Amino acid sequence: MRFVPADIERLDRQKGGMWLWLAQRVSAVILLFGLLTHLIATHIFSIGELSYDNIAERLQSGFFITVDILLLASAVFHALNGARMVLLDYFFKDLARRRLLDWALFVFGVAAFAYGLWALWPWITT
Amino acid sequence: MWAWILFRISGLILVAYLFVHIVIISQGELSSADTLDRLFEMFENPFLAFLDFMLVAAVLYHGLNGVRVILMDLFGVSVRRHKALFWAVMAVAAGLLAWFAVVAAPHIFGGAG
Repeated sequence: MRFVPADIERLDRQKGGMWLWLAQRVSAVILLFGLLTHLIATHIFSIGELSYDNIAERLQSGFFITVDILLLASAVFHALNGARMVLLDYFFKDLARRRLLDWALFVFGVAAFAYGLWALWPWITT
Repeated sequence: MWAWILFRISGLILVAYLFVHIVIISQGELSSADTLDRLFEMFENPFLAFLDFMLVAAVLYHGLNGVRVILMDLFGVSVRRHKALFWAVMAVAAGLLAWFAVVAAPHIFGGAG
């Protein structure tokens, strides 16, 4: 099959096109800094010493709770959008099924974000 | 091509890990301080510490290869010399992994309290 520019543009739009691509990059950069903070805090400074009190104390700080929420949101988005890109390369050629996949991923993502947020709630509200 | 295949595989592993991580940690935080502390004691298991090391390796590979992709996509850096850039970011990944290995080794091979 020979693609003309209009075909490529249409296919791109169905896959999300420029905005999802850009959002994947933006969330990647957030993850780089967020994960660095997250990993250094949990794996370097408190490896072997993690406890509820330890974490509760860290989450008291506005900086860490902000990083955690940003990290949660961008990780969930980046993960599901990345998985979607992989899936669309091999499956879901049919547009109706792709729409279904998109909705399923969206609902799953919102649920995962809400669940994580729920666990952080005591520190968000203090 | 191998960089791309590994990028996908590490990405998919991280997706799976992320949701397990969210559920387990949230579950722990939502139940009680004791439950969460018991969870952390369970994670002290050498095999889980080793898995943690593998996870850090996957994160470093995916993250730094991602840096390379962004540099090439967005800024057009080194498109002609992408192999050199690949090895440069891999050197950074190896360095960071070595640092983590030093920190994690006592938890894998014993010796940490």
